[in-house]
Amino acid sequence: MGINALERELKRGSTELLILALLEERDRHGYDLARLIDERSHGAISFHVASLYPTLYRMEDKDLIEGRWVEKAGQRRRRYYKLTKTGTRMLASQRNIWENFFDALNRVARIRHA
Amino acid sequence: MDWTNRVRAAFMRASHIPDDDVIEELAQHARTMYEVARADGCSHEEADRRMADQLDRWRVEAAALHHRSRRPPVVAPPPAVASSRFTGLVQDVRYAARLLRRQPRHALLTILTMALGIGATTVLFSVTYGVLMKPLAWPHSDRIVVLKETRGGSAPRFGAFTNAAYLAWREEATTIEHIAAWSQRLVTLSGAGEPERIRIAAATASLFPVLGARPLIGSLFEQKDEALPVIVLSEGLWRQRFGADPAVLGRLVHIDGQPHTVVGVLPDTLAYPDRQTRAVVPYSIRPTAGNYLAMFNAIAVLRPGATAAQAAAEGTARGRFASDTGLTTTAIFGSNGPLEITAQPLRDALTADVRRPLVVLLVAVGLLLLTATANVASLQLARTTTRSREMAIRAALGAGSARVTGQLLVESLLLGIAGGAAGLAFMWLLHGSMPSLLPADFPRVDDLGIDATVVAFALVVSVGASIAFGLLPALRVRRLNLVDALAEDGTAPVGAGVRSRTARARMLIMVGQVAIACVLLVGASLLGRSFLALLHADRGYDPAGVLSARLSMPVTMYPAPERRFAIIEQILNRAAVMPGVTDAAFTSESPLTPGGSTSAFTLKSREADGALVSVQASPRIVSPRYFSALGFRMIAGRTFSEHDTETSEPVVVVNHAFARRYLGDSPLGSRLPVAGYAPPEEKQLESTVIGVVDDVRYVTVANVSQPELYYSHRQMRGRLPVQTVTLLARTSGDPADPADLRAAAAGLRSVVREADERLVAEAVLPLEQRLLTTLARPRLYAVLLGGFAGFALVIAAVGLFAVLSYTVSQRSRELAIRAALGARRADILRLVLRQGLTVTLAGLVVGMLASTWLTRLLSTQLYGVAPHDTLTFVLVPLLLLLFATLACFVPARRAARLDPLRVLRGG
Repeated sequence: MGINALERELKRGSTELLILALLEERDRHGYDLARLIDERSHGAISFHVASLYPTLYRMEDKDLIEGRWVEKAGQRRRRYYKLTKTGTRMLASQRNIWENFFDALNRVARIRHA
Repeated sequence: MDWTNRVRAAFMRASHIPDDDVIEELAQHARTMYEVARADGCSHEEADRRMADQLDRWRVEAAALHHRSRRPPVVAPPPAVASSRFTGLVQDVRYAARLLRRQPRHALLTILTMALGIGATTVLFSVTYGVLMKPLAWPHSDRIVVLKETRGGSAPRFGAFTNAAYLAWREEATTIEHIAAWSQRLVTLSGAGEPERIRIAAATASLFPVLGARPLIGSLFEQKDEALPVIVLSEGLWRQRFGADPAVLGRLVHIDGQPHTVVGVLPDTLAYPDRQTRAVVPYSIRPTAGNYLAMFNAIAVLRPGATAAQAAAEGTARGRFASDTGLTTTAIFGSNGPLEITAQPLRDALTADVRRPLVVLLVAVGLLLLTATANVASLQLARTTTRSREMAIRAALGAGSARVTGQLLVESLLLGIAGGAAGLAFMWLLHGSMPSLLPADFPRVDDLGIDATVVAFALVVSVGASIAFGLLPALRVRRLNLVDALAEDGTAPVGAGVRSRTARARMLIMVGQVAIACVLLVGASLLGRSFLALLHADRGYDPAGVLSARLSMPVTMYPAPERRFAIIEQILNRAAVMPGVTDAAFTSESPLTPGGSTSAFTLKSREADGALVSVQASPRIVSPRYFSALGFRMIAGRTFSEHDTETSEPVVVVNHAFARRYLGDSPLGSRLPVAGYAPPEEKQLESTVIGVVDDVRYVTVANVSQPELYYSHRQMRGRLPVQTVTLLARTSGDPADPADLRAAAAGLRSVVREADERLVAEAVLPLEQRLLTTLARPRLYAVLLGGFAGFALVIAAVGLFAVLSYTVSQRSRELAIRAALGARRADILRLVLRQGLTVTLAGLVVGMLASTWLTRLLSTQLYGVAPHDTLTFVLVPLLLLLFATLACFVPARRAARLDPLRVLRGG
């Protein structure tokens, strides 16, 4: 597997985790999610907005998140996403998996993680 | 800038166009991006270019930009394991309610189907219960019997019981406590306000103890008062006309001009025979001296412990001691054979002729409810299939199968009870207008209503139906395979659409629905054709365009028959010259129904060598133009002419039935006594038969014509010996044009008023409309069954459509493979159509077999059409096939148009 391919697989595997984690803080709309992922990773994990929505819809199909149109006073209608109970459980288990994974990486390949 | 339109435009060339929902979301995103870029200091061109790039990328992934069309319930399901049974139930109810709110279309369809099914069933049950089962209002109604008398097995021409039997039995009765006689008549009530026509009963004082009736105020008359001019008002009349004033007691009212003293008020709940009877006056039974027979209706109350059969036996035995009334008996009964009395429980007697139709309709509506329930079951079944993942997850999280099944049942119950409530609401709306929807002569209309029994019935039906349509899906869930259900690929394996257990269950339901629709359609078609046959039957005369009116000239108003003659002459002369009227006439008896006056005499038989035969016939007085006004067909001879006057030889026209029965091959010239209407001073007057007219066919299921004799009123020595006549006017205008008839009706009314302003032409109606009111019951039955059948047909068609659409979507992969392997569109179309039509044909076979058996129930209700009517049995399957083909065609075409590439790629 080339470096690019590895990066792509890592991103794909982690996108769901990132979205779940961001939604754990509060309900957000699509643009907000894209911006935050970009900002918080200092640009390291900026994925194309093109694949954000397919991901969101897939997660919605799996009942991890729920999207609904919200109209706030003086603002346009926006579709907000929130975590479902299944999503919360999934986030916890994914965190666990990634934690164990990084521990293992650290022990074997000496990669530190915060 | 309109971002939504821009985003939509960008997808126009894409392989897949996302839903509006998605497009709007992307547009919001694009707008924000643009605005942020501008705020960061980009030029419009630069920001726009970034947006264009973004749109290009979205378009590449267009296929992934879609929500699942059927969204899973995002309502959180209730906990897998409830903390207690009760909290579990509450959670289930709440969950089910939220789920239904999320799928309003499904819920609405189900509730509507159930509401119609349960509503129709409840309405019909309330009628059946109110009419056939509910106890009658009178205190010991279970002991009240209706008495009927026959002589030599033949029933009287009018009335039901004679004074002969009544008096012979009354004095020495051991099986009955009281016997009462009553009859009804229309009278003019005057005094205290405008004169009005009301129906009253004339009854012996014993009517009150038979009914167990007590007065609301005042008293009820006793046997010693039977000759007095007293009157007992009904509560309704007392409230409406006297403002419920207790001071009404002792006041005088006039019945047909005769003063009567009000002695009491009878509560409406005890009104007999119905609430349309507004007052009761005394009636005293005269003895049979001088061969006098009085005809009336009779009821009796049994002694506790006695049976109706014992009473009938006693009545028969005692009645046979009554003195012989000779020819009068023959006149009324058509026989002077041995007397026989029957006693029938009051409720059975009241409802005998609606029992069978009500039972048939109840069976029909039961079938309708069954098919509606089956439809909902089928819908629920499809829904469980799409929800199997949800169920599997719940099961995986620890929900026992009882918990999952219970939750499904709660959902069904919620739907069913909502349907039941809607049905009851529908019933409640209808209930107010029920008396006007039912034919005027429908029994016990006052007893219909919504009471605890009806509500309990609706509840039981709702719960029963809910369990019925919730059970199949629940059973399916019990068998759910967790691994399969959770497998990622939701597409069913090849053949699943036709061969899975669910698919088979739904197909079986469809067969049943088609069969039920078939049975109901056959029934409706038979009743409909029977009604049309009744409507268009050859009645022996032509009622189209004839206006009829009743004219009452009571003896209290015109003591002299000469005055009545003058009045009727004046009315006929004026009516004949009314514009648009071609013929004006009158008759002493209505031509629409059999019965009326009757007379008996002996006749020397021409055929039996001059032996004397007893003749019974109904004599009628008519005006000369009667036959042309009604369009009678002449069979032999002539009708009355201007030359048949009081000075010429008396003549008579007989009907075909009379000629056939009594006069043999050459009726003309026979000599008959002037039956019934001979002038008092010439009792032995004879008349010569000058013509034979065709019979009036009283178009009923029994369908008999009676012997009739017609005399011209011009030969009555300037007298009119009857007090009530039917006026007839044939109009020349278009019989179908109501304006012509209205004008003629107004003309007729004013002609009558001009003759004497106290006279009123009553019930001025086209004859055809009067015929329709005599056909109100068959029409009601046909309309109701037709409605049920139509509803069942729609349900079957919708069911077929839904099942096929579902199988097509389940089989899309298989169909795509077939298409990829070279099946043409026509092949696919045929494949799907064949599946739908096979089910339909199976249903038709079952339905036709059931119909041949069930139509026997209808046989007593049919006129002019056989229970196995060929046309019906050919047209109904064709109609069903047509509907089924239409219902199958849409999903079949969708299947034929499937794009194999997209289906197989999973698009």
